[in-house]
Amino acid sequence: MRMRDAKTWATELATVTATAAILGFLVYPTFWVFVASLKTPETMFSARNWDWTISNYTRLMDAGFGHNIFNSLFLCTTAVVLSTVISVNAAYAFSRLRFRGRDTLFGAILLGQTFPWIILVTPVFILFARMGLLNSWVSMIFVYIAVSVPFSIYLLVGYLRSVPRSLDEAAIMDGASYVQVVWRVIFPIMFPGIVATATYAFLLCWSEYLFSVAILTREEMKTMPLALYIYFGENVTDWGNVMAGAALTTLPTLLMFLPLQRYMVAGLAAGSVKQ
Amino acid sequence: MYTTPRSFLVYALLPAFFFLACFYVYPSIFNIQTSLTDLGIFTLRRGGDWIGVDNYVELLTSPDFRRVLFNTVVWLTLAGVTVRIVLGLALAFLLNSRTLRKWRLTTAARLLLIVPWATPPVVAIIVWRWMLDPRVGSINSALTATGIVDQAIPFLSDANWVWPAILLIITWNTLPLVTLTFLASLQSLSAELVEAAEIDGAGPLQLLRYIYLPHLKPAIIVMVLMSTFWTFNNFVYVWLTTGAGPGLYTNVMATEIYIKGFIDGRLGYSAATGVVMATVMTLFGLVYLRVIAKRELVEESK
Repeated sequence: MRMRDAKTWATELATVTATAAILGFLVYPTFWVFVASLKTPETMFSARNWDWTISNYTRLMDAGFGHNIFNSLFLCTTAVVLSTVISVNAAYAFSRLRFRGRDTLFGAILLGQTFPWIILVTPVFILFARMGLLNSWVSMIFVYIAVSVPFSIYLLVGYLRSVPRSLDEAAIMDGASYVQVVWRVIFPIMFPGIVATATYAFLLCWSEYLFSVAILTREEMKTMPLALYIYFGENVTDWGNVMAGAALTTLPTLLMFLPLQRYMVAGLAAGSVKQ
Repeated sequence: MYTTPRSFLVYALLPAFFFLACFYVYPSIFNIQTSLTDLGIFTLRRGGDWIGVDNYVELLTSPDFRRVLFNTVVWLTLAGVTVRIVLGLALAFLLNSRTLRKWRLTTAARLLLIVPWATPPVVAIIVWRWMLDPRVGSINSALTATGIVDQAIPFLSDANWVWPAILLIITWNTLPLVTLTFLASLQSLSAELVEAAEIDGAGPLQLLRYIYLPHLKPAIIVMVLMSTFWTFNNFVYVWLTTGAGPGLYTNVMATEIYIKGFIDGRLGYSAATGVVMATVMTLFGLVYLRVIAKRELVEESK
Protein backbone atom coordinates (compact mmCIF):
# COMPACT_ATOMS: atom_id res chain seq x y z
CA MET A 1 0.00 0.00 0.00
CA ARG A 2 2.84 2.39 0.90
CA MET A 3 4.47 1.70 -2.46
CA ARG A 4 1.31 2.58 -4.32
CA ASP A 5 0.84 5.81 -2.40
CA ALA A 6 4.38 6.83 -3.20
CA LYS A 7 3.84 5.97 -6.84
CA THR A 8 0.64 8.00 -7.03
CA TRP A 9 2.44 10.88 -5.38
CA ALA A 10 5.23 10.71 -7.92
CA THR A 11 2.78 10.68 -10.83
CA GLU A 12 0.86 13.60 -9.40
CA LEU A 13 4.01 15.57 -8.82
CA ALA A 14 5.16 14.87 -12.38
CA THR A 15 1.80 15.96 -13.80
CA VAL A 16 1.77 19.20 -11.83
CA THR A 17 5.39 19.94 -12.71
CA ALA A 18 4.84 19.28 -16.41
CA THR A 19 1.75 21.51 -16.43
CA ALA A 20 3.57 24.27 -14.61
CA ALA A 21 6.48 24.07 -17.07
CA ILE A 22 4.20 24.22 -20.11
CA LEU A 23 2.13 27.08 -18.74
CA GLY A 24 5.30 28.91 -17.72
CA PHE A 25 6.56 28.60 -21.27
CA LEU A 26 3.24 29.89 -22.62
CA VAL A 27 3.01 32.85 -20.25
CA TYR A 28 6.68 33.87 -20.24
CA PRO A 29 6.86 35.90 -23.50
CA THR A 30 3.90 38.15 -22.64
CA PHE A 31 4.95 38.44 -19.02
CA TRP A 32 8.38 39.48 -20.23
CA VAL A 33 6.94 42.29 -22.39
CA PHE A 34 5.54 43.92 -19.26
CA VAL A 35 8.74 43.41 -17.26
CA ALA A 36 10.96 44.73 -20.06
CA SER A 37 8.75 47.76 -20.57
CA LEU A 38 9.60 48.80 -17.02
CA LYS A 39 13.36 48.37 -17.35
CA THR A 40 15.83 50.83 -18.83
CA PRO A 41 16.85 49.91 -22.40
CA GLU A 42 20.41 49.30 -21.14
CA THR A 43 19.41 46.64 -18.63
CA MET A 44 16.42 45.35 -20.59
CA PHE A 45 18.15 42.25 -21.90
CA SER A 46 19.97 41.38 -18.75
CA ALA A 47 18.60 38.95 -16.21
CA ARG A 48 20.95 40.27 -13.51
CA ASN A 49 20.59 44.04 -13.72
CA TRP A 50 17.20 45.40 -12.81
CA ASP A 51 16.89 49.14 -13.25
CA TRP A 52 13.22 49.91 -12.92
CA THR A 53 11.89 52.97 -14.68
CA ILE A 54 8.78 54.39 -16.28
CA SER A 55 10.82 56.49 -18.69
CA ASN A 56 9.98 54.12 -21.57
CA TYR A 57 6.35 55.09 -21.21
CA THR A 58 6.97 58.81 -20.88
CA ARG A 59 9.27 58.77 -23.92
CA LEU A 60 6.67 56.80 -25.86
CA MET A 61 4.01 59.37 -25.06
CA ASP A 62 6.39 62.18 -26.05
CA ALA A 63 6.85 60.39 -29.37
CA GLY A 64 3.13 60.81 -29.98
CA PHE A 65 1.88 57.31 -29.13
CA GLY A 66 -1.15 58.94 -27.51
CA HIS A 67 -2.44 59.66 -31.02
CA ASN A 68 -2.10 56.01 -31.96
CA ILE A 69 -3.93 54.90 -28.82
CA PHE A 70 -6.75 57.32 -29.57
CA ASN A 71 -6.92 56.19 -33.22
CA SER A 72 -7.15 52.52 -32.29
CA LEU A 73 -9.74 53.13 -29.58
CA PHE A 74 -11.90 55.39 -31.73
CA LEU A 75 -11.73 53.21 -34.82
CA CYS A 76 -12.37 49.88 -33.09
CA THR A 77 -15.12 51.16 -30.79
CA THR A 78 -17.09 52.83 -33.59
CA ALA A 79 -16.77 49.85 -35.92
CA VAL A 80 -17.67 47.33 -33.22
CA VAL A 81 -20.76 49.19 -32.01
CA LEU A 82 -22.08 49.46 -35.57
CA SER A 83 -21.20 45.90 -36.53
CA THR A 84 -22.76 44.49 -33.36
CA VAL A 85 -26.06 46.32 -33.97
CA ILE A 86 -26.11 45.04 -37.56
CA SER A 87 -25.19 41.51 -36.49
CA VAL A 88 -27.72 41.21 -33.66
CA ASN A 89 -30.57 41.99 -36.07
CA ALA A 90 -29.27 39.66 -38.75
CA ALA A 91 -28.56 36.84 -36.30
CA TYR A 92 -32.10 37.08 -34.94
CA ALA A 93 -33.52 36.81 -38.45
CA PHE A 94 -31.38 33.76 -39.24
CA SER A 95 -32.14 32.10 -35.96
CA ARG A 96 -35.90 32.66 -35.68
CA LEU A 97 -37.45 33.36 -39.04
CA ARG A 98 -38.07 30.97 -41.88
CA PHE A 99 -37.62 32.50 -45.31
CA ARG A 100 -36.68 31.54 -48.80
CA GLY A 101 -32.93 31.53 -49.42
CA ARG A 102 -32.09 31.41 -45.71
CA ASP A 103 -29.66 28.53 -46.02
CA THR A 104 -27.90 30.10 -48.99
CA LEU A 105 -27.56 33.47 -47.27
CA PHE A 106 -26.30 31.87 -44.06
CA GLY A 107 -23.83 29.89 -46.16
CA ALA A 108 -22.61 33.19 -47.63
CA ILE A 109 -22.05 34.50 -44.10
CA LEU A 110 -20.02 31.42 -43.21
CA LEU A 111 -17.97 31.72 -46.39
CA GLY A 112 -17.27 35.36 -45.48
CA GLN A 113 -15.35 34.03 -42.48
CA THR A 114 -13.21 31.77 -44.59
CA PHE A 115 -12.40 34.39 -47.20
CA PRO A 116 -8.71 35.38 -47.41
CA TRP A 117 -8.54 39.10 -46.62
CA ILE A 118 -5.20 39.41 -48.35
CA ILE A 119 -6.99 38.97 -51.68
CA LEU A 120 -9.24 41.92 -50.91
CA VAL A 121 -6.47 44.33 -49.95
CA THR A 122 -5.44 45.17 -53.52
CA PRO A 123 -8.94 45.76 -54.96
CA VAL A 124 -10.16 47.56 -51.84
CA PHE A 125 -7.05 49.74 -51.94
CA ILE A 126 -7.59 50.57 -55.64
CA LEU A 127 -11.28 51.31 -55.14
CA PHE A 128 -10.67 53.52 -52.11
CA ALA A 129 -7.85 55.29 -53.93
CA ARG A 130 -10.15 56.09 -56.84
CA MET A 131 -12.81 57.40 -54.46
CA GLY A 132 -10.24 59.50 -52.61
CA LEU A 133 -10.86 57.54 -49.41
CA LEU A 134 -7.29 56.62 -48.47
CA ASN A 135 -6.32 57.91 -45.04
CA SER A 136 -9.92 58.30 -43.99
CA TRP A 137 -11.80 57.01 -40.96
CA VAL A 138 -14.84 56.21 -43.10
CA SER A 139 -12.95 53.65 -45.16
CA MET A 140 -11.32 52.00 -42.13
CA ILE A 141 -14.62 51.80 -40.23
CA PHE A 142 -16.22 50.34 -43.33
CA VAL A 143 -13.48 47.69 -43.56
CA TYR A 144 -13.68 46.80 -39.86
CA ILE A 145 -17.48 46.45 -39.94
CA ALA A 146 -17.26 44.22 -43.01
CA VAL A 147 -14.54 42.12 -41.41
CA SER A 148 -16.37 41.56 -38.12
CA VAL A 149 -19.97 41.12 -39.33
CA PRO A 150 -19.68 37.50 -40.60
CA PHE A 151 -17.90 36.38 -37.45
CA SER A 152 -20.34 38.18 -35.14
CA ILE A 153 -23.42 36.77 -36.88
CA TYR A 154 -21.98 33.25 -36.64
CA LEU A 155 -21.28 33.61 -32.91
CA LEU A 156 -24.62 35.26 -32.16
CA VAL A 157 -26.63 32.60 -33.99
CA GLY A 158 -24.87 30.10 -31.72
CA TYR A 159 -25.77 32.03 -28.55
CA LEU A 160 -29.36 32.57 -29.69
CA ARG A 161 -29.86 28.84 -29.76
CA SER A 162 -29.79 28.81 -25.96
CA VAL A 163 -32.54 31.45 -25.70
CA PRO A 164 -35.94 29.75 -25.53
CA ARG A 165 -38.19 30.58 -28.46
CA SER A 166 -41.24 30.74 -26.23
CA LEU A 167 -40.00 34.09 -24.87
CA ASP A 168 -40.06 35.93 -28.15
CA GLU A 169 -43.15 34.10 -29.35
CA ALA A 170 -45.01 35.30 -26.27
CA ALA A 171 -43.89 38.89 -26.91
CA ILE A 172 -45.05 38.69 -30.54
CA MET A 173 -48.44 37.38 -29.36
CA ASP A 174 -48.68 40.41 -27.07
CA GLY A 175 -48.33 42.61 -30.13
CA ALA A 176 -44.64 43.53 -29.97
CA SER A 177 -42.91 44.22 -33.26
CA TYR A 178 -39.83 42.21 -34.24
CA VAL A 179 -37.58 45.18 -33.57
CA GLN A 180 -39.00 45.49 -30.06
CA VAL A 181 -38.51 41.75 -29.51
CA VAL A 182 -34.88 41.97 -30.57
CA TRP A 183 -33.94 44.97 -28.45
CA ARG A 184 -36.33 44.65 -25.47
CA VAL A 185 -36.53 40.86 -25.04
CA ILE A 186 -33.56 39.20 -26.70
CA PHE A 187 -30.93 41.87 -26.06
CA PRO A 188 -31.16 41.82 -22.24
CA ILE A 189 -31.32 38.02 -22.07
CA MET A 190 -28.30 37.34 -24.23
CA PHE A 191 -26.36 40.40 -23.11
CA PRO A 192 -23.31 38.37 -21.96
CA GLY A 193 -23.17 36.65 -25.33
CA ILE A 194 -23.44 39.99 -27.12
CA VAL A 195 -20.66 41.45 -24.97
CA ALA A 196 -18.48 38.42 -25.74
CA THR A 197 -19.16 38.81 -29.46
CA ALA A 198 -18.43 42.54 -29.37
CA THR A 199 -15.22 41.89 -27.45
CA TYR A 200 -14.11 39.36 -30.00
CA ALA A 201 -14.84 41.79 -32.84
CA PHE A 202 -12.97 44.49 -30.92
CA LEU A 203 -9.89 42.30 -30.59
CA LEU A 204 -10.05 41.44 -34.27
CA CYS A 205 -9.92 45.16 -35.13
CA TRP A 206 -7.48 46.01 -32.34
CA SER A 207 -4.77 43.73 -33.73
CA GLU A 208 -5.62 44.18 -37.42
CA TYR A 209 -2.55 45.09 -39.46
CA LEU A 210 -3.12 44.29 -43.13
CA PHE A 211 -5.79 46.80 -44.17
CA SER A 212 -4.57 49.57 -41.92
CA VAL A 213 -1.04 49.34 -43.31
CA ALA A 214 -2.41 49.72 -46.85
CA ILE A 215 -5.00 52.42 -46.18
CA LEU A 216 -3.52 54.54 -43.37
CA THR A 217 -0.27 56.03 -44.60
CA ARG A 218 -0.36 59.36 -42.78
CA GLU A 219 1.58 59.33 -39.50
CA GLU A 220 -1.12 60.93 -37.37
CA MET A 221 -3.74 58.39 -38.48
CA LYS A 222 -1.83 55.18 -37.77
CA THR A 223 -3.15 52.64 -35.27
CA MET A 224 -1.16 51.06 -32.44
CA PRO A 225 0.08 47.92 -34.29
CA LEU A 226 1.35 50.07 -37.16
CA ALA A 227 3.18 52.44 -34.84
CA LEU A 228 4.69 49.50 -32.95
CA TYR A 229 6.16 48.09 -36.12
CA ILE A 230 7.65 51.43 -37.03
CA TYR A 231 9.47 51.57 -33.69
CA PHE A 232 10.56 48.00 -34.29
CA GLY A 233 12.26 49.31 -37.40
CA GLU A 234 14.12 47.76 -40.27
CA ASN A 235 17.61 47.85 -38.80
CA VAL A 236 17.67 49.75 -35.56
CA THR A 237 15.09 48.88 -32.94
CA ASP A 238 14.04 51.35 -30.29
CA TRP A 239 13.45 48.70 -27.62
CA GLY A 240 12.19 51.10 -24.95
CA ASN A 241 9.41 52.36 -27.21
CA VAL A 242 8.69 48.90 -28.62
CA MET A 243 8.25 47.24 -25.24
CA ALA A 244 6.20 50.04 -23.69
CA GLY A 245 4.01 50.16 -26.81
CA ALA A 246 3.64 46.38 -26.87
CA ALA A 247 2.59 46.39 -23.22
CA LEU A 248 0.00 49.11 -23.85
CA THR A 249 -1.34 47.19 -26.87
CA THR A 250 -1.65 43.94 -24.91
CA LEU A 251 -3.05 45.28 -21.64
CA PRO A 252 -6.62 46.04 -22.84
CA THR A 253 -6.96 42.72 -24.64
CA LEU A 254 -5.77 40.81 -21.57
CA LEU A 255 -8.19 42.67 -19.32
CA MET A 256 -11.08 42.05 -21.69
CA PHE A 257 -10.31 38.37 -22.25
CA LEU A 258 -10.13 37.28 -18.64
CA PRO A 259 -13.77 37.81 -17.61
CA LEU A 260 -15.10 36.68 -20.99
CA GLN A 261 -13.06 33.59 -21.77
CA ARG A 262 -15.85 31.17 -20.89
CA TYR A 263 -18.33 32.81 -23.25
CA MET A 264 -15.83 33.10 -26.04
CA VAL A 265 -14.81 29.47 -25.92
CA ALA A 266 -18.45 28.43 -25.74
CA GLY A 267 -19.28 30.61 -28.72
CA LEU A 268 -16.38 29.51 -30.86
CA ALA A 269 -17.01 25.91 -30.08
CA ALA A 270 -20.73 26.22 -30.81
CA GLY A 271 -21.84 23.13 -32.62
CA SER A 272 -18.59 21.37 -31.85
CA VAL A 273 -18.89 20.78 -28.14
CA LYS A 274 -22.48 19.67 -28.05
CA GLN A 275 -23.89 17.13 -30.39
CA MET B 1 -42.91 49.35 -37.57
CA TYR B 2 -41.46 46.16 -39.06
CA THR B 3 -44.30 44.03 -37.79
CA THR B 4 -44.50 41.69 -40.74
CA PRO B 5 -41.74 39.15 -41.12
CA ARG B 6 -40.97 40.46 -44.60
CA SER B 7 -40.37 44.09 -43.67
CA PHE B 8 -38.32 43.00 -40.65
CA LEU B 9 -36.18 40.72 -42.82
CA VAL B 10 -35.29 43.60 -45.11
CA TYR B 11 -34.44 45.80 -42.12
CA ALA B 12 -32.41 43.05 -40.42
CA LEU B 13 -30.50 41.59 -43.34
CA LEU B 14 -30.00 44.50 -45.73
CA PRO B 15 -27.23 46.26 -43.74
CA ALA B 16 -25.27 43.05 -43.21
CA PHE B 17 -25.46 42.05 -46.84
CA PHE B 18 -24.70 45.59 -47.99
CA PHE B 19 -21.32 45.27 -46.29
CA LEU B 20 -20.77 41.74 -47.56
CA ALA B 21 -21.57 42.77 -51.12
CA CYS B 22 -19.42 45.92 -51.05
CA PHE B 23 -16.48 44.35 -49.26
CA TYR B 24 -16.36 40.74 -50.46
CA VAL B 25 -18.35 40.35 -53.67
CA TYR B 26 -17.62 43.53 -55.61
CA PRO B 27 -13.85 43.61 -54.89
CA SER B 28 -13.65 39.92 -55.83
CA ILE B 29 -15.24 40.56 -59.20
CA PHE B 30 -13.04 43.63 -59.64
CA ASN B 31 -10.06 41.43 -58.76
CA ILE B 32 -10.89 38.91 -61.50
CA GLN B 33 -11.17 41.77 -63.96
CA THR B 34 -7.83 43.24 -62.81
CA SER B 35 -6.13 39.84 -63.09
CA LEU B 36 -6.69 39.92 -66.85
CA THR B 37 -4.83 43.23 -67.25
CA ASP B 38 -1.28 44.49 -66.75
CA LEU B 39 -2.42 47.15 -64.27
CA GLY B 40 0.52 48.59 -62.37
CA ILE B 41 0.78 50.87 -59.39
CA PHE B 42 1.74 53.77 -61.68
CA THR B 43 -1.04 53.17 -64.19
CA LEU B 44 -3.70 53.17 -61.48
CA ARG B 45 -5.47 56.25 -62.79
CA ARG B 46 -5.29 55.33 -66.47
CA GLY B 47 -6.15 51.65 -65.96
CA GLY B 48 -4.23 48.64 -67.28
CA ASP B 49 -4.34 47.06 -70.72
CA TRP B 50 -6.19 43.84 -71.36
CA ILE B 51 -3.69 40.97 -71.65
CA GLY B 52 -6.01 37.97 -71.33
CA VAL B 53 -4.73 35.05 -69.30
CA ASP B 54 -1.03 35.98 -69.59
CA ASN B 55 -0.74 36.57 -65.83
CA TYR B 56 -2.13 33.11 -65.12
CA VAL B 57 0.19 31.45 -67.64
CA GLU B 58 3.21 33.19 -66.10
CA LEU B 59 2.03 32.30 -62.61
CA LEU B 60 1.33 28.63 -63.17
CA THR B 61 4.53 27.99 -65.13
CA SER B 62 6.77 29.87 -62.70
CA PRO B 63 9.04 27.67 -60.52
CA ASP B 64 8.91 30.39 -57.83
CA PHE B 65 5.19 29.96 -57.59
CA ARG B 66 5.53 26.23 -57.11
CA ARG B 67 7.69 26.88 -54.09
CA VAL B 68 5.21 29.44 -52.79
CA LEU B 69 2.44 26.86 -53.12
CA PHE B 70 4.56 24.22 -51.38
CA ASN B 71 5.40 26.61 -48.52
CA THR B 72 1.75 27.60 -48.09
CA VAL B 73 0.25 24.13 -48.24
CA VAL B 74 2.90 21.95 -46.61
CA TRP B 75 4.75 24.17 -44.15
CA LEU B 76 2.29 26.85 -43.13
CA THR B 77 -0.99 24.95 -43.30
CA LEU B 78 -0.33 21.21 -43.03
CA ALA B 79 2.52 21.36 -40.53
CA GLY B 80 1.06 24.36 -38.69
CA VAL B 81 -2.40 22.88 -38.23
CA THR B 82 -1.17 19.39 -37.36
CA VAL B 83 1.19 20.67 -34.65
CA ARG B 84 -1.54 22.86 -33.19
CA ILE B 85 -4.19 20.12 -33.10
CA VAL B 86 -1.89 17.42 -31.69
CA LEU B 87 -0.42 19.69 -29.00
CA GLY B 88 -3.85 21.12 -28.28
CA LEU B 89 -5.26 17.64 -27.68
CA ALA B 90 -2.31 16.61 -25.50
CA LEU B 91 -2.54 19.75 -23.40
CA ALA B 92 -6.32 19.47 -23.04
CA PHE B 93 -5.93 15.91 -21.74
CA LEU B 94 -3.23 17.05 -19.34
CA LEU B 95 -5.36 19.91 -18.00
CA ASN B 96 -8.35 17.60 -17.65
CA SER B 97 -6.34 14.95 -15.79
CA ARG B 98 -7.53 13.74 -12.39
CA THR B 99 -4.53 15.19 -10.62
CA LEU B 100 -5.13 18.74 -11.80
CA ARG B 101 -8.83 18.46 -11.10
CA LYS B 102 -8.13 17.08 -7.65
CA TRP B 103 -5.87 20.00 -6.78
CA ARG B 104 -8.32 22.44 -8.41
CA LEU B 105 -5.70 23.60 -10.85
CA THR B 106 -7.75 23.29 -14.05
CA THR B 107 -9.37 26.72 -13.69
CA ALA B 108 -6.09 28.42 -12.85
CA ALA B 109 -4.48 26.76 -15.86
CA ARG B 110 -7.35 27.88 -18.05
CA LEU B 111 -6.89 31.49 -16.99
CA LEU B 112 -3.15 31.36 -17.68
CA LEU B 113 -3.84 29.91 -21.12
CA ILE B 114 -5.66 33.14 -21.98
CA VAL B 115 -2.39 35.07 -21.87
CA PRO B 116 -0.85 33.96 -25.20
CA TRP B 117 -4.28 34.02 -26.83
CA ALA B 118 -4.93 37.60 -25.71
CA THR B 119 -1.54 38.76 -26.95
CA PRO B 120 -2.10 40.51 -30.30
CA PRO B 121 -0.16 38.79 -33.12
CA VAL B 122 1.94 41.90 -33.75
CA VAL B 123 3.12 41.89 -30.13
CA ALA B 124 3.62 38.11 -30.20
CA ILE B 125 5.85 38.42 -33.25
CA ILE B 126 7.86 41.28 -31.76
CA VAL B 127 8.56 39.49 -28.49
CA TRP B 128 9.43 36.20 -30.19
CA ARG B 129 11.70 37.96 -32.66
CA TRP B 130 13.50 39.37 -29.67
CA MET B 131 13.69 35.98 -27.94
CA LEU B 132 15.00 34.30 -31.10
CA ASP B 133 17.50 37.08 -31.85
CA PRO B 134 21.10 35.81 -32.08
CA ARG B 135 22.60 38.85 -30.29
CA VAL B 136 20.19 39.91 -27.56
CA GLY B 137 17.64 37.07 -27.49
CA SER B 138 17.01 35.07 -24.31
CA ILE B 139 16.78 31.71 -26.08
CA ASN B 140 20.23 32.03 -27.57
CA SER B 141 21.75 33.30 -24.32
CA ALA B 142 20.22 30.33 -22.51
CA LEU B 143 21.51 27.91 -25.16
CA THR B 144 25.04 29.29 -25.15
CA ALA B 145 25.19 29.73 -21.37
CA THR B 146 24.28 26.09 -20.76
CA GLY B 147 26.69 24.98 -23.45
CA ILE B 148 24.09 23.28 -25.63
CA VAL B 149 25.40 25.23 -28.62
CA ASP B 150 28.74 27.00 -29.06
CA GLN B 151 27.49 29.73 -31.30
CA ALA B 152 24.19 31.60 -31.26
CA ILE B 153 21.74 30.32 -33.88
CA PRO B 154 20.27 32.97 -36.17
CA PHE B 155 16.88 31.24 -36.12
CA LEU B 156 15.14 33.63 -38.47
CA SER B 157 17.79 33.83 -41.16
CA ASP B 158 18.98 30.20 -41.17
CA ALA B 159 17.06 28.13 -43.74
CA ASN B 160 17.12 25.07 -41.46
CA TRP B 161 15.53 26.92 -38.57
CA VAL B 162 13.29 29.54 -40.09
CA TRP B 163 10.17 27.40 -40.69
CA PRO B 164 10.26 25.73 -37.28
CA ALA B 165 10.69 29.21 -35.76
CA ILE B 166 7.68 30.63 -37.61
CA LEU B 167 5.61 27.60 -36.63
CA LEU B 168 6.70 28.06 -33.02
CA ILE B 169 5.37 31.63 -33.02
CA ILE B 170 2.07 30.68 -34.70
CA THR B 171 1.59 27.70 -32.39
CA TRP B 172 2.32 29.74 -29.28
CA ASN B 173 -0.25 32.36 -30.27
CA THR B 174 -3.02 30.01 -31.43
CA LEU B 175 -2.63 26.93 -29.22
CA PRO B 176 -4.81 28.25 -26.35
CA LEU B 177 -7.97 28.56 -28.43
CA VAL B 178 -7.64 24.99 -29.68
CA THR B 179 -6.77 23.66 -26.23
CA LEU B 180 -9.64 25.49 -24.53
CA THR B 181 -12.12 24.18 -27.10
CA PHE B 182 -10.95 20.60 -26.60
CA LEU B 183 -10.95 21.09 -22.84
CA ALA B 184 -14.55 22.37 -22.94
CA SER B 185 -15.48 19.28 -24.93
CA LEU B 186 -13.69 16.94 -22.50
CA GLN B 187 -15.39 18.59 -19.54
CA SER B 188 -18.79 17.96 -21.09
CA LEU B 189 -18.09 14.21 -21.15
CA SER B 190 -19.94 12.42 -18.35
CA ALA B 191 -17.64 11.05 -15.67
CA GLU B 192 -19.90 8.03 -15.18
CA LEU B 193 -19.29 6.90 -18.73
CA VAL B 194 -15.52 6.91 -18.20
CA GLU B 195 -15.86 5.17 -14.83
CA ALA B 196 -18.15 2.52 -16.24
CA ALA B 197 -15.68 1.79 -19.00
CA GLU B 198 -12.85 1.56 -16.48
CA ILE B 199 -14.81 -0.85 -14.31
CA ASP B 200 -15.36 -2.96 -17.41
CA GLY B 201 -11.58 -3.14 -17.69
CA ALA B 202 -10.82 -0.64 -20.46
CA GLY B 203 -7.18 0.50 -20.51
CA PRO B 204 -6.02 4.05 -21.33
CA LEU B 205 -5.67 3.31 -25.06
CA GLN B 206 -9.10 1.74 -25.24
CA LEU B 207 -10.60 4.69 -23.38
CA LEU B 208 -8.98 7.03 -25.89
CA ARG B 209 -10.11 5.02 -28.87
CA TYR B 210 -13.70 4.24 -27.83
CA ILE B 211 -14.70 7.01 -25.42
CA TYR B 212 -12.61 10.18 -25.73
CA LEU B 213 -11.94 10.44 -29.45
CA PRO B 214 -15.54 9.79 -30.57
CA HIS B 215 -16.69 12.43 -28.08
CA LEU B 216 -14.05 14.93 -29.27
CA LYS B 217 -14.62 14.25 -32.95
CA PRO B 218 -16.95 17.20 -33.70
CA ALA B 219 -14.65 19.61 -31.84
CA ILE B 220 -11.63 18.25 -33.73
CA ILE B 221 -13.36 18.62 -37.10
CA VAL B 222 -14.38 22.23 -36.42
CA MET B 223 -10.95 23.18 -35.11
CA VAL B 224 -9.13 21.52 -38.03
CA LEU B 225 -11.31 23.34 -40.55
CA MET B 226 -11.14 26.73 -38.84
CA SER B 227 -7.40 26.52 -38.18
CA THR B 228 -6.86 25.64 -41.81
CA PHE B 229 -8.61 28.81 -42.95
CA TRP B 230 -6.94 31.06 -40.42
CA THR B 231 -3.51 29.72 -41.20
CA PHE B 232 -3.76 29.38 -44.97
CA ASN B 233 -5.10 32.94 -45.24
CA ASN B 234 -2.78 34.47 -42.71
CA PHE B 235 -0.45 37.23 -43.76
CA VAL B 236 1.05 38.81 -40.65
CA TYR B 237 2.87 35.86 -39.12
CA VAL B 238 5.17 35.24 -42.08
CA TRP B 239 5.37 38.85 -43.22
CA LEU B 240 6.22 40.42 -39.90
CA THR B 241 8.45 37.56 -38.73
CA THR B 242 10.69 37.10 -41.75
CA GLY B 243 9.33 39.37 -44.51
CA ALA B 244 9.14 36.17 -46.61
CA GLY B 245 12.93 35.78 -46.21
CA PRO B 246 15.73 34.87 -46.02
CA GLY B 247 15.55 35.80 -49.69
CA LEU B 248 12.13 34.50 -50.59
CA TYR B 249 12.65 31.23 -48.76
CA THR B 250 9.51 31.48 -46.61
CA ASN B 251 7.34 33.20 -49.21
CA VAL B 252 3.71 32.05 -48.98
CA MET B 253 0.67 32.92 -51.09
CA ALA B 254 -0.46 35.81 -48.88
CA THR B 255 2.99 37.42 -48.85
CA GLU B 256 3.43 36.77 -52.58
CA ILE B 257 0.24 38.75 -53.28
CA TYR B 258 1.47 41.59 -51.10
CA ILE B 259 4.98 41.64 -52.57
CA LYS B 260 3.81 41.51 -56.18
CA GLY B 261 1.10 44.12 -55.64
CA PHE B 262 2.54 46.65 -53.21
CA ILE B 263 6.30 46.25 -53.63
CA ASP B 264 6.77 45.26 -57.27
CA GLY B 265 3.68 47.30 -58.18
CA ARG B 266 2.31 44.59 -60.49
CA LEU B 267 -1.32 44.81 -59.42
CA GLY B 268 -2.59 42.67 -62.32
CA TYR B 269 -0.25 39.79 -61.54
CA SER B 270 -0.96 40.14 -57.83
CA ALA B 271 -4.69 39.95 -58.58
CA ALA B 272 -4.18 36.75 -60.59
CA THR B 273 -2.36 35.20 -57.62
CA GLY B 274 -5.30 36.26 -55.48
CA VAL B 275 -7.77 34.56 -57.80
CA VAL B 276 -5.79 31.31 -57.62
CA MET B 277 -5.68 31.55 -53.83
CA ALA B 278 -9.41 32.28 -53.64
CA THR B 279 -10.14 29.27 -55.85
CA VAL B 280 -8.16 26.95 -53.58
CA MET B 281 -9.89 28.42 -50.52
CA THR B 282 -13.37 28.25 -52.05
CA LEU B 283 -12.97 24.55 -52.82
CA PHE B 284 -11.97 24.02 -49.24
CA GLY B 285 -14.74 26.34 -48.07
CA LEU B 286 -17.35 24.14 -49.73
CA VAL B 287 -16.17 21.21 -47.62
CA TYR B 288 -16.48 23.45 -44.56
CA LEU B 289 -19.99 24.48 -45.57
CA ARG B 290 -21.09 20.89 -45.93
CA VAL B 291 -19.84 20.09 -42.45
CA ILE B 292 -20.61 23.24 -40.43
CA ALA B 293 -23.63 24.76 -42.12
CA LYS B 294 -25.36 21.41 -42.04
CA ARG B 295 -24.81 21.08 -38.34
CA GLU B 296 -25.86 24.67 -37.58
CA LEU B 297 -29.00 24.66 -39.66
CA VAL B 298 -30.08 21.11 -38.99
CA GLU B 299 -29.97 21.93 -35.33
CA GLU B 300 -31.91 25.14 -35.99
CA SER B 301 -34.83 23.42 -37.65
CA LYS B 302 -35.14 20.75 -34.98
